[in-house]
Amino acid sequence: MTTNSKNERALTKKDLRQVFTRSCTLDSAWNYERQQHINFCYMMIPVLKRLYKDDSAAMSRALKRHLEFMACTPHIVTLLAGVCASMEEENAANSDFDESTISAVKVSLMGPMAAVGDSFFWGTLLTIAIGVGVSFSSSGNIMGPILFLLIINVPAFLVRFYGLRIGLNNGMKFFADASNSDTIARITKVASILGLMVVGAMVATTVSFSITYEVGVEGAMTPIQTYIDQIMPCLLPAVAFFVMYYLLGKKIKTTTILIFLIVFSCVGCYLGIF
Amino acid sequence: MNNLFLETVLITLVAFIGYMHSYWGSTMNNRPIIIGPLTGLVLGNLEMGLMVGAALELAFLGAVPIGASNPPDMTSGTVIGTAFVIISGQDIGTAVALAIPVATLVGVIDNLLMMFVLTQAGHMCDAAAEKGDYRRIEWITRFAGIGNKVVLALVVGIGYYLGIPIIEQLLTVIPDFILRGMDVAAGLLPAVGFAMLARMILTKELSPYLLAGFVLAAYFNAPVLGVTLCGLVVAGVVFFNDSKKNSTKEVSIDDNEF
Repeated sequence: MTTNSKNERALTKKDLRQVFTRSCTLDSAWNYERQQHINFCYMMIPVLKRLYKDDSAAMSRALKRHLEFMACTPHIVTLLAGVCASMEEENAANSDFDESTISAVKVSLMGPMAAVGDSFFWGTLLTIAIGVGVSFSSSGNIMGPILFLLIINVPAFLVRFYGLRIGLNNGMKFFADASNSDTIARITKVASILGLMVVGAMVATTVSFSITYEVGVEGAMTPIQTYIDQIMPCLLPAVAFFVMYYLLGKKIKTTTILIFLIVFSCVGCYLGIF
Repeated sequence: MNNLFLETVLITLVAFIGYMHSYWGSTMNNRPIIIGPLTGLVLGNLEMGLMVGAALELAFLGAVPIGASNPPDMTSGTVIGTAFVIISGQDIGTAVALAIPVATLVGVIDNLLMMFVLTQAGHMCDAAAEKGDYRRIEWITRFAGIGNKVVLALVVGIGYYLGIPIIEQLLTVIPDFILRGMDVAAGLLPAVGFAMLARMILTKELSPYLLAGFVLAAYFNAPVLGVTLCGLVVAGVVFFNDSKKNSTKEVSIDDNEF
C-alpha cells in the first residue's frame, strides 16, 4: 500500500491532536454488542470531517465502517487510528481505492494488537505498578498511589502519542516490518520476564497465610508455623499460589475459587487452625 | 446530618473521578490503590485510606478488563469498604469482606448499563451514521460516555448515605470467626490474582524468572522495587542477547542472574 508523503498530507496537526484526545475515551461507552465501536468512531470523526465534509454519502459510509465491532487495548489504539487515517486519506484522494480494505485491515490488526497490548498494559505493567505501589501504600506512604499512576501512565501516554505518528506515517509497513524482525515477540518476551519476576516477589511479600495451631506437650506449645518457617520462608504463600495456578488451569471459575477461599478461611478460623 | 450530606457529595465525587478513568485515557485511577486514599482524604484519614487501598488492590488483583470479560466494580467496593473501616474503626479485613459483595452488586448494575443502555446508544449512532450526521454521533458519545459514570457514581453516593448505618448494625450480629476468616481470606486472595497473571504470561521457558523473583524477596528480603530493577537488568540482557543472534543458546542467560 502506498502512503502519502508528509508534504501532501490532507490532515492537519489539529485534526491529529483531536484524534489523540478522543482516543483517551475509547473504553468509556463500552457495550456488549460491538464493544468500543462508539468511541472508535468518535475518535475517527476529526479525520472524516476533514476528508468527507462535502460528500455526505462518503461520510455516511465512513461513519458506518468505523461503527463496526472494535476491541483493542485503549493505550495503543492510536496506532490503529493512524493506520486507518492514512487509509482514509488515500481513499479520499484516490477514487480507485477499495473502501472495504479499510474494514478488512482494521479487523485483521485489532486482534493481534489487543493480544500484545492487553498482556502488556493490563498484565505486566499493571503488575509492576501494583507491586511497587502497594509496597509503599501498605505502610501509609503517599508515594504508593503516585508511583502507581506514573508507572502506568508515562509509558501509556508515550505509546499513545508515538503510536499515532507511526501508524499514520508508516501505515501497514510498520506491521510488516515488526513481524519480520520479531520485534513484538522480543518485547513481549522481556516484558513477561520482568512481570514474572515481580509476580514471584509479590507472592513472597503480599500473600499472607500462616497456621497458628499449636502442637506439643502442655506448657511447651509451639505454633506449627514455627516449623514451617524452618523449612523455607514464605512456604505457605508459595503453596497457595501453586494451588490457585493449578485450579485455574483446570478451568475452574474465579468466583468459585473466591467463594471456596472465603469458606475455607472461615471454617479454619472456626476450628482454630488459622 | 449536614456533615453526612457534605461527605456524601464528596464521596460521590471520588467515585465519579474513579469511573472517569476510561474517559481520560484509561489511566487506571479507578483502582483501589487510588480510590482508597481519595476516600480516606474525604473522611479525614489519609493514612488508613492508603493502607485499605493497598489491601483491596491485592484482593482485586485479578480484576482486569481483558477482552469481553468485565471484572467486579472495584471503585464502588473500595469506596464503601474504606469508608466503613475509617468510620467504624474495624480491621482492614472488614473492608475486603464488604468490598467484594458491593463490587459484585454494582458490577451487575454496570453490566446492565453496558447490555442495554449503551447498546441502545450504539443503535442511535447507527441511525445518525445513515444520514452522515457526525455531530449527532459526537454528542451521543459524550453523553453516553460520561452519563453512565454519573449513574454509577450516584449509586455509590446513595449506597454510602443509606448503607453505612445498616452495615454497622449487620456487623454486630455476624459471629467473630467469620470476620477473622475474612481477614485470613484477604491474605490469601492475592494468590488468586497472581495465579491469573501467571496463567497469562508464564511459559515453561520463562518459569525460572518467576522463581528468581520469589527467591530474591523471600530469602534476601528485597523490596518489590528492588526486584523490579533486577528484572529490568535481566530483561535488558535477554533483549540484547536475543537481538545479536537468534541462534544463541538461552541457557547462558539464566546463569547471569543467580
